[in-house]
Amino acid sequence: MVAVVDPDEDLVRRVGQGDPAASQALVTRKLPRVLALAQRMLGDAAEAEDVAQETLLKAWRQAPRWTPGRARFDTWLHRVALNLCYDRLRRRREIPTDAPPERPDEGPAPDRGLLAAETGARVDAALAGLPQRQREAIVLCHYQELSNIEAAALMDISVEALESLLSRGRRALRHALADVSPKGDG
Amino acid sequence: MTIERLKALAQAYGADLRRWPASERPFAESLIAADPAARAALDEAAALDALLAASPAPSPSAQLTARVLAGAPRPRARQARRGRLAWFLGAGWTAAACAGVVAGLGLTTHLTADARADAVLYQSTLSGVDDAEVLG
Repeated sequence: MVAVVDPDEDLVRRVGQGDPAASQALVTRKLPRVLALAQRMLGDAAEAEDVAQETLLKAWRQAPRWTPGRARFDTWLHRVALNLCYDRLRRRREIPTDAPPERPDEGPAPDRGLLAAETGARVDAALAGLPQRQREAIVLCHYQELSNIEAAALMDISVEALESLLSRGRRALRHALADVSPKGDG
Repeated sequence: MTIERLKALAQAYGADLRRWPASERPFAESLIAADPAARAALDEAAALDALLAASPAPSPSAQLTARVLAGAPRPRARQARRGRLAWFLGAGWTAAACAGVVAGLGLTTHLTADARADAVLYQSTLSGVDDAEVLG
């Protein structure tokens, strides 16, 4: 088996030894990534914070017994965070509520100019409107910048299936955002 | 690489070749340089990439960061292990010292008894001489 090169290996080892500077560095490096993943998967800021916190708490427990060379720590973190997101998405389906998760307003008319923040809100809404697996593929490959092999492994699908999800997701986004200019100037 | 494959990759991964499968990048670069249709496919993908970039990445709040850090492994645990090790080492040295004292005392008592016995014997010899002289 080929040993995996992990840029986080030394940092995780020091975290496991109880080095406070290493813990701080790991939080600086990973918390924004995990939070962004959860936010885009769940579309809910409070839930995303809970998932990010729980993921990092699991990382603290894992660090002292982390075995280098078997997997990248960042991939493991994504696995943990995704599982927590799946749990929450499953609960939402099991317990339907009258109030859907908070989503930005999709209101502007096609000919109306949009500020950058409004463009961002439209993009978030379009992402949230995608089927879960398409959204997950785009979040992992585009926003989290994982390789196609890492993303496919995390989603437990083939690379070909991942490419299909990505294509369909991007096509749906292009359609949903057809009236939005990239510059936000209408 | 065919132009169809390049279009499929652009539709899946976008215009930034760094997101593409590493094995396909060199062929894609050659095709983009040679075929305007390949460039057009990338431009179309780049327009959606620009829109996706408008989605703001959330920043962790100071409160969240503090909550997360509060659960981080503490160096105290390591110090406690060191403390326990030091305690065991100290106890070992103490036990060794006690054993040395006991052994020393035992040895001293034994040697003193021998010396005392020799002294009594010697004394009795001297007494014998004195008696002979007196009797003689």
